[in-house]
Formats: sequence, structure tokens, C-alpha cells
Amino acid sequence: MSSLSSSLGIAVRALLAEQGAIETTSNNIANVNTPGYARQRPDLVESPPAVYGNMVLGTGVQLDQVTSLRDSILELRLHQETQQQGKLDAFLGSAQQIQTLFNDAAGSGLQGPLTAFFNSLLQLSTSPSDINLRQGVLTAAGNLANAFNSTAANAITLQHNVDRSVTQSVNEINDLTGKISAINGQVSTMQSAGQNPGALVDQRDQLIRQLAGLVDLSVIDAGHGSLTLTTSGGSALVVGNQNFQLTTQADTVTGLQHVFSLGKDLTSSINGGALAGQLQTRDQEIPSVLSSLDMLAASLANSFNAQHQAGFDLNGAAGGNFFVPPLAGGVGAAASLKVAITDPSKIAASGPGSSGSGSAGDNANANALHALQGQAIVNGQSPLDFYSGMVFRLGNDLAAAQSQQQTQTLVLQQLGNMRGAVSGVSLDEEAANLMRFQRAFEAAARVATVVDTLTLTAINLGQD
Amino acid sequence: MAIRLNPDLIPNLLYSIQQNRQNQATATEQISTGRRVNVPSDDPASAAAIVGNHAQATEDDQFLRNVSGLQSKFQVADSTLNSAVQVLTRAVTLGVEGANGTLSAANRQAVAGEVQGLMDQMLSLANLSYQGTYVFAGTAVTTQPFVVDSTSPDGVTYKGDTGVNSIELSSGQAVQINVPGSQLFLNPGGNVFGALHQLYGALLAGTGMDTAVSALNTALGQLNSQRVTYGNALNQLQLTESFLSQEKINLSKQESSLVGADLAATATQLAQAQTASQAVLSATGRILGLPTLLDYLK
Repeated sequence: MSSLSSSLGIAVRALLAEQGAIETTSNNIANVNTPGYARQRPDLVESPPAVYGNMVLGTGVQLDQVTSLRDSILELRLHQETQQQGKLDAFLGSAQQIQTLFNDAAGSGLQGPLTAFFNSLLQLSTSPSDINLRQGVLTAAGNLANAFNSTAANAITLQHNVDRSVTQSVNEINDLTGKISAINGQVSTMQSAGQNPGALVDQRDQLIRQLAGLVDLSVIDAGHGSLTLTTSGGSALVVGNQNFQLTTQADTVTGLQHVFSLGKDLTSSINGGALAGQLQTRDQEIPSVLSSLDMLAASLANSFNAQHQAGFDLNGAAGGNFFVPPLAGGVGAAASLKVAITDPSKIAASGPGSSGSGSAGDNANANALHALQGQAIVNGQSPLDFYSGMVFRLGNDLAAAQSQQQTQTLVLQQLGNMRGAVSGVSLDEEAANLMRFQRAFEAAARVATVVDTLTLTAINLGQD
Repeated sequence: MAIRLNPDLIPNLLYSIQQNRQNQATATEQISTGRRVNVPSDDPASAAAIVGNHAQATEDDQFLRNVSGLQSKFQVADSTLNSAVQVLTRAVTLGVEGANGTLSAANRQAVAGEVQGLMDQMLSLANLSYQGTYVFAGTAVTTQPFVVDSTSPDGVTYKGDTGVNSIELSSGQAVQINVPGSQLFLNPGGNVFGALHQLYGALLAGTGMDTAVSALNTALGQLNSQRVTYGNALNQLQLTESFLSQEKINLSKQESSLVGADLAATATQLAQAQTASQAVLSATGRILGLPTLLDYLK
């Protein structure tokens, strides 16, 4: 049967439920600017009804639970796209510095010294016995060698700088997986105890987003609110409340850091996040530039030496090596390119001529050396064509990454908007809710007062 | 029910502001450098093409410097050969005079003395040195090509060689830049020194002047025909010079179409970006200043 006390109970439950709802609303308002926060919704449900015979009476309201509003599929996509974004950002950030070394449009780059060197030979051919012109050739050759040396040295320095970033990224990854595994443990404990781990899940999502910016990631739901994180290659990063640290170890040959997980070398299989972008610059872009430079320097030096040896110097002696011969295979040729002769009279400008040992004024070999400029001596191309091909590839790689990055930014922005539509806190909405819950609270309080009055009336029944 | 929108507009607004700033920075960079391509990734194909363009332009500069250096050298050589022609003409006159039977032996001696002087002149012309090298020594430019040798029938010995240099004037076009002295002055088809020496001997001996004069005429013809080499080369230099100047203009046009900024278009872009930026900023200011429902709660 109905009773005044059950009415009072309904009013009190309503007060508690609306209080909880107001608390949730104020928590939402408080976290309006918290990154990764998903707005929460108080789930109000009817209390189980009281059954009296064939009469069923409602018993009011109760706050069943507080739900964090998030779209887990959307979060997953955000993680994936964040990995791509992280990779592109890191690649561009590091690789853009390489192209400043080949900025021929602005006059820096190898085209200048390369052309100047061949031009000095062209000038020498007008008056091969002129010692000043010969000195000019040596100076231009020295400048060319310096340009190769410093370009290669800069590229190598850049490579080592990126290498340091790799170690930093690995440290950040370990830091994040440590935090995530701790939260992961708490979430599953709370979930098992039937509590809402909303705040912790928010934090964990935020940390996973940061982690996705650094490394490629697969997120697997392991049940009980626990997530298992692995690299896309399957190496475990976080399982339950345990994290698996990535380690780095210097390569014995290159001195560059390799990334290991549980003894397995992951370096070449990481393909997302900043780490992948850094590795792409360090292990692909820079080595490709360096090997092109080496090939150019080695082919140039070898072809030039061969032609130089076919000629005769100012004293009638057969030409020697003009450049110090690069190592077989050409590795490091650009960094170590060096002119072998210092005496300008040793430049073999003369062909054999009628005497067979050349003459002071003969320019046949100077012409032949100059002609190397247009000959396919570097991997089937002329030196300048090869060089401009290299500039094109580098520019093209970066331009492609830039346009991908722009697309990726828009994709992420769109996903961010979609996430915001589901999980973002709207102050207008919260204000409306706040008023609604306030009114309900006030009404419940009023009910309690009325019941109080009724109870008093009942108590006073029968008194005069 | 309406679709719930992302209540947080700030990231989108910031992105728009940033995009506008980026556009302004790009336009400003293009205007200040005058270039559309400032790093290879701005336009990889143009950045690669500019390598060839710059190389060609600097090579053309060198070609032009070579042309102007050669022009002065050729002019000196040509005017020297012109003097040699005059010397020979004078020798022919003297030979005709000497053949005149009325001349006394003493007078012939005097004429022979003048021919001796002409031979010395010819020797100094043939040993022309330009910027420290002998012009008519073939490729043995450090050796004085002609030395007096009384035992030789020509009165001189050639110490130079028969080497010929040619150089590239512009891409693919080569020109011969010297004629060996032996070909000019000791040519079997018209021997300059031989004829002079022959005239000198004939004047002293008082006989054979006619043969000597005819030898001189042959030598004169020969020298004139050899001079043409230098004349032609000078013409070629002039043509090349104007070709190269034109090519440089074309290359410079190509450069600005490859990497140059279209200043009018870029300035318009800058103005557009500035206007857009102001619009976004003003919109952002207004949106962020909008009251929420909270402001109306009493």
C-alpha cells in the first residue's frame, strides 16, 4: 500500500538522483577544455516499482550510471590517422632540411661549382699554357671538391641529428606505454568492480593518441575494459597492466640506432608515427641522397682521372690522377673528394700531338676533359642530368609528403569534428541540463516539504 | 532531431587562421625573393630544370668571355699577317726594281740591304707573341718559332710544330684557333721566307731576280689565302657572340617562367590572403565573444 513515507522516499531519491545529475553536469562544464575528455551523461532510470497485489506503484527515479559518450570506432580511426600524421610531420620536419642543401634556384647546391669547374676547363682551352688559367682550373676543382665534401658532411650531420630524435621518440614511447599500462590495470579493476572508469578511459585514450603520434599501433580490446596495444607488426607494447619497453642499440657498421622489442629488430617494420617518419628520413631519404652524391663524385673523379691520364702536362709528362681516386664502389666518395695535384703545370691539357708527348700550347685534352660535362659518365647520364634528377627525386618525395600531410590534416580535422560532435562538451547544452536538473531538484525538495506537511497533518489527526 | 555539431570551434578557427598566415607567408616569400620556387619541393620539375638552365647560362658566359678573348687574339694575328702582306708587297716592288738592268751593283747592294731589313721585319712578325705565347708556333707556344739560320735555303729554321688547336665556341660548334707558322711562312705552295731569301741572294748575285719575284708573288697569294682562316674565324666569332647573347636572353626568360614569381598574381594572392585573414580573425573574435546560455541564467 502507498504511504507517506514511501512518497518521502521517492522525493529523497529524486533529490539524490538530480544531485548526481547536477554533479555530472558541473563535471562536464569543468572539463570543457580538457583534451581527450568525453562528455558524460547521467543515466536516470525509474526505480523498480512496488507491487501491491494487482497495483503497481512507481518508486521514483534513480541515477543508474554515468556514461562517457564516445564512439570507439571513431577513436580507433583517430588513432590510425594520427599515426599517419605523426609519420608525415616527422618525415617532413627532418627531410625538409636536406633540400636546403640543393637549393639551386637560390644559387646554393652543386650546380654552381660543377659548372664553374667545367667552365674553367673551357677557358683553359683558349690558352692551355697560361699558368693563371691552369691555376683557375685547380681552384675551381678545389671548390667543387669542397662543395661535395660539405654537402655530404651536412647530410651526415642531419642523419645523426635524426638518429638522436629516434632515441628520444623511443624514450617517449616507453614513458607513454608505462603510463598506459598502469591506467589499463586500474580500468579493468574498476570495471570488474562495476564502477565507471570514465575519467581513466579518457586519460588512457589521450595517452594512446599521443602514442599513436609516435609509433604505429594496433589497439585490441582484451575485455574487462583492458586494451592490448601492439605495433602493427604484432610486437606487444602494452598487455594488461604490463608494458614492454622498446630498446635501442647502435648498428655496428653505421652507428645508427636500431629499435628492438624483446630482442626483435623492428627498425624496418615500423610504418606509422613520428618514429616511422624519422626512420624514413634517416634510413631512406638521406642514404639515397648520399649514395647519389657518392655515385656522382666517384664517377666524375674516375672518368676525369682516366681522361686526364690520356693527356700530357706542361712539361710533356703523361697526366696522373687529377682527383684522389675514390674507393672502389664509391662509398664515401662525396665526403672525401679531393684534388690530387697542387702544381698547375701538372694539369694534362695537351693531347699527344705530333710529338707523342704533347706540347705546351696543345688543348686537345683540355677539350676532351671539358667534353666530359656532356657525356654519359654517371650511371648513363651526364653529371648535371644526374644531379638534376637527384634534385627532382628529393623535391618530389617532399612535395608528395607535403600534399599527403595537407590531406591528412583535413582528415584529422574532420575526425576531430566528428569526435567533438559525439564527445565534446557544449556549454549551452550543459546550461540547459543544469536548469532542468535544478528545477527537478527544487520540485523534489518541494515534494518533501509537502509530504512533511502531510505527515504533520497526519500526526495531528484527532487532536483538538 | 538536429545533428549534434562539434561544440568546440576553436581548433577549426585556429586552422583557418593558420592557413591564412601560411598563404600570406608564401606570397610574401615569393614577392621578396622574386621566385616561385624557393626549395625543390615547391616545384620539383622546375627545380630540376633550373639546374640545366643555370648551367647553360654560366657556360654561355664563359663562351662569351672566350669569344671576346679570341677576338682580340685573332685581330692581332690578322693585322700581323696584314703587315706581312705589306712587307711582301714591298719586296715584290724591290725585286722588280732590282730586275731593272740599269741598276749598278752598288745600287743592287743597297736594295739587297733593304730586303735584308724586310726579312728581319718578317721574322719579327712571324715571331709574334701575344700575352706571353707565340701565336705562329703551332702548339709549341713557348718556343720562339723562327730563328735565323744562314745554312737553310729559307734563311730561317722553324722550331714550332704543326699542331692545330680548336675550341668549342658554343655548344657543339668548334673553331680552329691557330694556323701553324710553317703553314703560313714556310708553305711549299708559297714559301714566304724562302722567296725573301731567294730575292736577297739574287740581288747580291745580280741574277735570278725574275724567278725570285715570281716566287714572292706565289708566297703573297699563299699568305693571303691563309689569312682567310683568321678572317673567317673572326666572322664566326661575331656570329657566335650574337647567338650567345640571344641564347642568354632566352635562358633568362626560361628561368623566370620556370621559377620566377608572377609578381602581379602573387601580390593579388597576398592581398586576398590578407583580406581572408582579416575576415577569419573578425569572425573568430565574434564567435568567441558570443554569449552562451550560461550568461542568461539568473
